[in-house]
Amino acid sequence: MSGREITYLEAIREALRQEMQRDERVFLIGEDIGIYGGAFGVTMGLMQEFGEDRVIDSPISELGIAGAITGAALTGMRPVGEIMFMDFITLASEQLVNQAAKIRFMFGGKATVPLVMRTPMGSGTGAAEQHSQSLENWFVHVPGIKVVAPSTPAEAKGLLIESIRDDNPVLFLEAKLLYKTKGEVPEEPFTIPLGKADIKREGRDLTIITYSVMVKRALEAADQLAQEGIDVEVIDLRTLKPLDKETIIASVKKTGKALILHEAAKTGGFGGELAGVIAESEAFDYLDAPIVRLAGRDMPVPYNRTLEYNTVPQVENIVESARKMARREV
Amino acid sequence: MPIPVIMPKFEMSQETGQIISWYKKDGDLVKKGEAMFSVETDKVTMDVESPGDGVLAGITAKEGETVPVTTVIAYLLGQGESLPTAESASEAQPPENVSTPVEQPKSAAISSGSATPVAQRMAAANALDLTSVTGTGLNQTITKADVEAALAQRGNDEGKVRATPAARRIAREEGVVLDEVPGSGPRGRVQEDDVQKFLSTTSQRSAQVLPPQAAILSSTPDYDIVPLKGMRRTIADRMVSSYQSAPHIMFTMSVDGTSLEGLRKRMNEQAVKRGEEKISMTALLTRAVAWTLLRHSRLNSTLNGDEIRQYKTANIGVAVALNDGLIVPVVRNVEKKGVSQIAAEINDMAKRARESKLTPSDVSGGTFTISNLGPFGIEQFTAILNGGQAGILAVGAVQKEVVVVDDEMVIRPIMRMTLSADHRTVDGAVAAQFMADLRSVLENPDLLLY
Repeated sequence: MSGREITYLEAIREALRQEMQRDERVFLIGEDIGIYGGAFGVTMGLMQEFGEDRVIDSPISELGIAGAITGAALTGMRPVGEIMFMDFITLASEQLVNQAAKIRFMFGGKATVPLVMRTPMGSGTGAAEQHSQSLENWFVHVPGIKVVAPSTPAEAKGLLIESIRDDNPVLFLEAKLLYKTKGEVPEEPFTIPLGKADIKREGRDLTIITYSVMVKRALEAADQLAQEGIDVEVIDLRTLKPLDKETIIASVKKTGKALILHEAAKTGGFGGELAGVIAESEAFDYLDAPIVRLAGRDMPVPYNRTLEYNTVPQVENIVESARKMARREV
Repeated sequence: MPIPVIMPKFEMSQETGQIISWYKKDGDLVKKGEAMFSVETDKVTMDVESPGDGVLAGITAKEGETVPVTTVIAYLLGQGESLPTAESASEAQPPENVSTPVEQPKSAAISSGSATPVAQRMAAANALDLTSVTGTGLNQTITKADVEAALAQRGNDEGKVRATPAARRIAREEGVVLDEVPGSGPRGRVQEDDVQKFLSTTSQRSAQVLPPQAAILSSTPDYDIVPLKGMRRTIADRMVSSYQSAPHIMFTMSVDGTSLEGLRKRMNEQAVKRGEEKISMTALLTRAVAWTLLRHSRLNSTLNGDEIRQYKTANIGVAVALNDGLIVPVVRNVEKKGVSQIAAEINDMAKRARESKLTPSDVSGGTFTISNLGPFGIEQFTAILNGGQAGILAVGAVQKEVVVVDDEMVIRPIMRMTLSADHRTVDGAVAAQFMADLRSVLENPDLLLY
């Protein structure tokens, strides 16, 4: 490692810049990503560096952005679109779900759609119901789309470069609350393969399976739990699809207890899929407690800060859930 | 309105009934006409059918308990109904019935207001009797959590072992019976390390220096335990009582069945023509025994305290073997009935006996008993007298034997029968004469017309 620390946001920008420098087919399109530098500042300075042809301020049309990158990808470009808030991806889903995800299969592999759609997700910024959602599982459910959700600056860089180089549509989910977090990131371009989870902390007593912003909270919880003698393993999935089932199953076989953690609403969330994967696998015979899902409440994320805080899992909730499992209270 | 379930009165003289077993339990959905529980009077075990549809609740009489007739022992609840309050319950139940269990106040104190709506809905959906749930909410209100706990407990009561998959896997691999492992998890769930601990303690135990045989003996018993209850208990008690109170004398005799078999063959030809049931040997025997009994009323009698009751009609009990037990339905006025009717009645009662559908009148009032083990190939056996009767006839199989007739050896179908008689009332010569006459009518069945 270089020892150089940059933020998650800067790591994403660096990945974009390095890929644009490396491959002139890579271009960016999104609302206010050019002159303004993006709603969160991710693309700051890139229009100045690469020009208006490669950093395109789009009209306010998510469908248009999605359609444009789908078409561009089909013609051989490697576009990276941005949806300002994941909530607005509802408008883009027609192009992503019904076109981008299907084309490669419908043309028997003769056409590929190497697009990346970046979008920030999650709550915690007081941005209320339409700016706080985590809708990843809608897209996990669609065959043909890969879903990536990094939790650290280095992984954000490595996974984004890999996503841009991947020949399939990739939904690249950035955690708003992680944009300002810092970490060591190698300066040179590098990739992290999709479909490989990372064990962020090894432990014997319990496995927390999570991704994105919840990895950070799970690690904080694990530190607290360690003081109580509860030894938690934290798996960062990094990509939801393809899913690294092997790592999950091996870990659950080891600990016998699975706590699934995500910010998205519990019902219909990705946690159900994870629970199913575990229950169907050889890890079933090693379970020594019910599989527990700790997830967002089944309700819109409210504006009120106190309510918002209590809508999604926080460190203390994770500690409590894990403690109950470790103490056999569930 | 909840439907009260009462201890039925099967016959005029019956004062109490003993619950042998409940087929349904609190919270079970019961349909009208379904067998709910079985009752034993001093004569018979009967299944009691449900008087209506509903959820069985508030059972107050446990298995084995003896309850006065007409006592309310449970209720059937319709949707949204709860058990009657103390006042209405006491109306339904005469106060002198003090032998009913003491749980009455607790169950009666529950009214529909003492459970939260969610708890009530959950209980109804799961057919859970709320009276069996202890409330932990404000003013002992039954809450959702209480119902959940009760439902979880019910799972335990159903004999299922709670164990995690990991515990089950290790038990499977190590050959541990999970029932024996104490669970340390929630609601007694067996965890992985409970099995590990169990394994280490049992292996320590078996590692102690013990002769191998003793080690085997110290493991699980190699027998099954069957409680002596219900019909088995009744049979046990009556056999001892009869055998100890009545001095038995036995008389064995061989009967040449040639004529009887010929008659049976001709009768069965008739039966086939008419599409009627075939005539069993038992039916023919029963008819012949009735003929003989009317001529020997001392054998057609019972001893009741200071009096011998000599009956004017022959009500003959025919022993029917059940899976685990025996019952003796009675064919009444045999002397007045044709053999085909007797055969039909015996078949019908045997069938109902196996279905536990005999009524007390089917098994009461017998004056003599026949037990035919011929179909099993038994040549000869002796029987114990039945319920105060003076005689019981034990009938063996019909087998071809070489016998001497007119100084010639011939092959004849021979059956041996043994009369057990109560020597208190039946003298040896009386019994012998009965048997001689029985033989003459069996060997010359046309005498039945006499």
